[in-house]
Order: sequence, then C-alpha cells, then structure tokens
Amino acid sequence: MYGIIAFFRKHYFAVLFVALEFLSLYFVFKDNYYHQAGFFNSANSVAGSVYKTYNGITSYFNLASENQKLAEENTMLHNSLGSIPDTSKHLKVAHTNPYGDQFNFITADVIDNSTNQINNYLTLNIGKNQGVAEGMGVISPSGIVGVVIGVSDHYSVVMSLLHKSYQLSAMLKKGGAFGTVIWEGGDSRFALLKQIPMSETVKVGDTIVSSGYSTLYPKGINVGTIESVEPVPTQYFYKIKLRLATNFKKLGYVYVVSDLMKKEKTELQNNAYKANEGK
Amino acid sequence: MITDVAKNIARFLIFLLIQVSILKHLDLGRFINPFLYVIFILMLPIRSNQALVMVLAFCTGLTVDMFYNTMGYNAAACVFMAYCRPLILRTYAPKGEYDTSAKPTIQSLGLPWVLSYVGTMVFLHHLVLFFLEAFSLSSFFSTLGIVIISSACTVGLVVLSQFIMQRGRT
Repeated sequence: MYGIIAFFRKHYFAVLFVALEFLSLYFVFKDNYYHQAGFFNSANSVAGSVYKTYNGITSYFNLASENQKLAEENTMLHNSLGSIPDTSKHLKVAHTNPYGDQFNFITADVIDNSTNQINNYLTLNIGKNQGVAEGMGVISPSGIVGVVIGVSDHYSVVMSLLHKSYQLSAMLKKGGAFGTVIWEGGDSRFALLKQIPMSETVKVGDTIVSSGYSTLYPKGINVGTIESVEPVPTQYFYKIKLRLATNFKKLGYVYVVSDLMKKEKTELQNNAYKANEGK
Repeated sequence: MITDVAKNIARFLIFLLIQVSILKHLDLGRFINPFLYVIFILMLPIRSNQALVMVLAFCTGLTVDMFYNTMGYNAAACVFMAYCRPLILRTYAPKGEYDTSAKPTIQSLGLPWVLSYVGTMVFLHHLVLFFLEAFSLSSFFSTLGIVIISSACTVGLVVLSQFIMQRGRT
C-alpha cells in the first residue's frame, strides 16, 4: 500500500499526463457523430451565443451577395411555377398524394462555418425548439450542404459535406447511375464521385443530384457538375472529380429538411427486418 | 498574486475570443491554420505548478474543441505540450537557473529564448493536433507541411502579441 502511494507521489506528473491524455483520446475516438453530448459542441449556449454575436456583426458585410442569391432563387421558383401548365389540377393531386407533403423545410441562419479544416462543421441559429433533430439533412438554395449531428434548445451543429466521414448517395441526372460523393480534404470547391461503373456514359459538365435513397434529402437536389472524368484501367469504376454546386465559403442561410415520413419508413424497415429474423 | 491570476484569466478569455471569432474564419487555405490560443499556456509563469499547468491546458483545449466541434483533439495536443513543458524549460534554461522573477516574455528573457521556447512548444502542439486530425500517414508530407507552416504563423502571432502586450504595459 505504501509502495503505491510512494509511486504516485514520485510519478504523479506522468500519471496525470496519462490520465488526461487518455481522456482526450477517448473523446477523439468514441463514435460521437450522432451521439454527441449536448454540452460539448458548438450548439451549447456559450459557443452558440458567441457565434451569434459574431454573425450579427459580420453578416452585414455579405448583405449584397445574400440579396442577389435570394433574388436568383425567387426567379428560379417563379420559373418553375410557370412551367406547371394547369395548377389547379396538380394541386389536387399533390394533396391526395402524400409524397407531395413528405418534406418540410425550416429556414436557418448559418452563424458559424469553416471550410479550411480537415473536418468542417456549421452552427445554425435554430435548434430543438424550432423542430430540428439529429439526422436531418441541410440544403442551401444552390445545393446539398450537410447533415445535423447535434442539437440544443436554440442551436444545432451540422456536419458539412466537407468532412471525412460524410458520404452522400448521389446519381447522374442523365442516365440515373448511382454513386457516392465524398470529400478528401483540400479545395472546398471540389469533391469526388465514386462507384459510377465504366459501363455508363459520363461527360464533363453532367449534373449530379441527390438520389433520394436516404431520408435526409428529397430526390433531385443539386450536388454539383462533373469537372473531370478518368477511367481507372484496373477497376470497373470511373474516377470522377466534381465541382460542388454549393459555395461553402459563402453560406448565409440554409434550409433544414425534415422528412415527415422518416419515422414511418424506419419503423416499416425495422418491422420487416424483425419479421425476417423471426422466420 | 491576485492580479497575476486576473491577468491570466483575462488573457485566456481574450485569446480564446480572437481564436474562435477571427482566426477560425481567417480562410487562407488549409496550410495556414494558426492556433494562437496556446499563448495562454505558454505565458503561464515559469515557476507555476506543472500539474496545474497541465490541468489548465486540458481545460483550455477542451474549450477550444467545443467551438471547433473537434472533441478531444485540442485537449490531447495541449496536454502533450504541457507534459513536455518542464523538459523544454530545463533545456533552454539560461546559465544556472531561471530568476525567481523570470517570465516567459521577450522583455524578461529576450527574443532568442522566446523564439526557441515558443517554437518548440507550438510545433509539438500542432504536430499532435494535425496528425490526430488527419489520422493517417498516407498524407504524411502534406500534413507535415500544414504543421510546419501553421506553426510558423502561430509563433509569429505569439511574438507579435507579446510586443503588443508589452507596449500596452509601458
């Protein structure tokens, strides 16, 4: 017993180092993307209010470009309204078809954002009280942004598409082949599109959109355009570089997507799995 | 004594705020990513209890992690830096020993001492931080590049901050 006490007395500095380092590395390596503790991320009230104040000051400098973006989005929405020939008929269909009411969009201000880290996150000015929950998709007027991974009452943290762990199910708008979009660091304007088989015809400039396989985003949201295509001779897949539709350096406001049928879909899937196991 | 504690608390808050509001959003590419907040740990008195320094380093790192959403990364880097601090201080000790009144500032110990002390400490911190974040040796040289260039920026900012604080005092 005295031996142990003497050991700790003599080496308390090293013991403290090992203990604190172990604790830090535990935080690093535990799988915390969807289970982040409410306090230790930028959604907590301290970090949230600091970022909110900061954003309150700096957002004025981007007003001109934000207005431009809003005007462009309005034009786009007007145009798409005009392209529907007989609105009354379609509205009736939309109301009887629950698919039309599947997604709900909540507007949010980006109060903190980064693009030059190895893993990037955004902080939004809305949280649980405004209906945000973990696992919801986030889009901007121009394209996909990321997914909510932590919420507090008034703020939420979003894992940006510019993150090592982020994988997005996407497809070619023309042809409809499915692939996965990932970001490997570096330039925030480009990402990679993987798993598009060589049997598909792929051209530079083709548009890539979200596939709608997951419950995160509606089908057909812009992801980007193809910047360059390289066949890999030893594999069956193309190596495709993607120019992202979203300008991550200039994100003023975004939409959080809540899928009203997510619960139904997951429950149905879980029941099916259970039924299968029971056999 | 109490004013020293107050000064250190003020330093902690001011540099934390500079880190998360200005430096985090300073988008100069991925190679330039300075972490000036470590100046708080660097400027703790030379004779302070090393275990206390380590606990403070852990808390500081964790606070920055909270703002960066990088749970544990900065804490691990800061704790490692604090663990190496006694050895580094001993290595760069002037002939004999440090004066009881010696502070880790340019005014007290001169620019060459500050450059070697701050340079070594910051390099160790950035080394742990960026390699932990990259979590692979496949991009070894680009990560090492980030470590070296960002360290140089941080050291420059630390020295500049010391000059500014010195000016403010006289």
